[in-house]
Amino acid sequence: MESAPFRAMPRSQMAIAVLWPSFVVAIVATGLFFSAFHPRELVPFNLDLDLSPLAVYSVGFFIFWLIGIFCGLGTLYFTLVNCGAGQRED
Amino acid sequence: MQEKTLTPETQGLYAAHRKIYPREVSGRFARLRVLSVVVLLGIYYLTPLLRWDGRQAVLFDLPARKFYIFGLTLWPQDFIYLAALLILAGMSLFFFTALFGRVWCGYACPQTVWTEAYLWMERKIEGNRSQRMKLDKGPSTAARIRTKALKHTVWILFSLWTGFTFVAYFTPMDELADKLLTISLGPWESFWILFYSFATYGNAGFMREQVCLYMCPYARFQSAMFDANTLIVAYHPERGEPRGSRRRGADPRQAGLGDCIDCSICVQVCPTGIDIREGLQYECIACSACIDACDEVMDKMSYPRGLIRYTTENSTLGKPQRLLRPRVMIYAAILLLLCGFLASSLLLRVPLELDVIRDRNALYRDTPDGLIENVYTLKILNMDEKSHRYRLTASGIDDLKLVLDNPDIEVAAGTVRQLIARIQADELKLESRSQSVSFHLQAVDSNNLQTVEEARFVGPGRN
Repeated sequence: MESAPFRAMPRSQMAIAVLWPSFVVAIVATGLFFSAFHPRELVPFNLDLDLSPLAVYSVGFFIFWLIGIFCGLGTLYFTLVNCGAGQRED
Repeated sequence: MQEKTLTPETQGLYAAHRKIYPREVSGRFARLRVLSVVVLLGIYYLTPLLRWDGRQAVLFDLPARKFYIFGLTLWPQDFIYLAALLILAGMSLFFFTALFGRVWCGYACPQTVWTEAYLWMERKIEGNRSQRMKLDKGPSTAARIRTKALKHTVWILFSLWTGFTFVAYFTPMDELADKLLTISLGPWESFWILFYSFATYGNAGFMREQVCLYMCPYARFQSAMFDANTLIVAYHPERGEPRGSRRRGADPRQAGLGDCIDCSICVQVCPTGIDIREGLQYECIACSACIDACDEVMDKMSYPRGLIRYTTENSTLGKPQRLLRPRVMIYAAILLLLCGFLASSLLLRVPLELDVIRDRNALYRDTPDGLIENVYTLKILNMDEKSHRYRLTASGIDDLKLVLDNPDIEVAAGTVRQLIARIQADELKLESRSQSVSFHLQAVDSNNLQTVEEARFVGPGRN
């Protein structure tokens, strides 16, 4: 069920509201995470991946971004989708 | 609770975007902004070209996990400095906002700086405001397509240079240029160059003021740092109203008019497309383009300048202005304190680290000489730019003996060296089952280069 604000907000603005804060948070999270852990120490499930450190940092950044995007989507959903419930004038 | 879910303001916030064509402006503040743009872009594009001690002067070497900033080499252990630097940047923003309003937005924000540069290119290729508007409204002629293609080519080339420079902060510039010329750039380097180029192209070419309006958190919370003594760009309604057009040389007072001739040039020059005459608005980035524009008009009309000007709320209300107020002094004090902390900790920073790990296989061992021995693995991290030779001593137990496999401890610049150290002590000299000993590492060639690390010494214990 889409509420009025959900319909009123342009899609581009929704994209910015989700992508941009998560991008900033991903930069901070990547910085903090990799200052504590060396890419060498992070071998998931004992896989023998031959990745350069730059690749590990980049993939790490995108994982953090993705997590942030999920969080942002959740916030957007809970803020917009049902906030008009029970307050309709009609 | 018959409240509407959408207020007019929120509707306005999400209004469909209409393209803004800022008119070119000249004047005192425009010159200041051009100067700021040239200096800041100069710093950005030239810094990776600087050399220091045979390496790039500023390099954030991610694969090697070392940050080089001129003579300083920072390790992941020095993360605290980065955090302090960010807090410092945040506090300076608070301080300067309280004093001078949104000077950051108008003159120094990367969004403003790159937008100015892209607007300049746009102007050179597509012409002035009315020419650009005509071009966009006009039919898709060959000439129009040529002009647009030229603009986007120039923009994209400039963006690619920007992206390349950005990656050169992380991968040495000469190495990167080499790889580019031999077309052997790694996938991730290419990706980040393109990513940053695309972001610049999009933000400075298309998004422009929308970044300030929709994406910038500072635009939303800067009002919390404002007070009645903060410098703002404001229109003087008492002097300007009622606005209206008039013949040049006519006395406005006789016609019942104020000084504003309603030429709307202040609106045309505004990069965020607002009318400053409607009062202070959050969209205003205090770029002062409207001040320059209005001053020029006032000069033409032979009216005094300053119908739109930098002022404070107190000044417009005729109240006295106060520069030094508690808010400013508190911000200044915190700023000074932080600067002092950062400077002193950088000056006192010892580029040497010692890690001691006790051998976990055996608690202790009896030597043939009847002494108790503990074994430790030592990791010496030389964070300095030079190689050093160190002397290791231990203390904490009377007459203890320190045995090293190799007493000559030399560690090359920026490397870690591991060595095994054994401490032997007489059982009768031990105070308890587990007591603390300290390793003292001292550089032979420098008195200041020393560090102490504590460890546990375990013995059989006495009854």
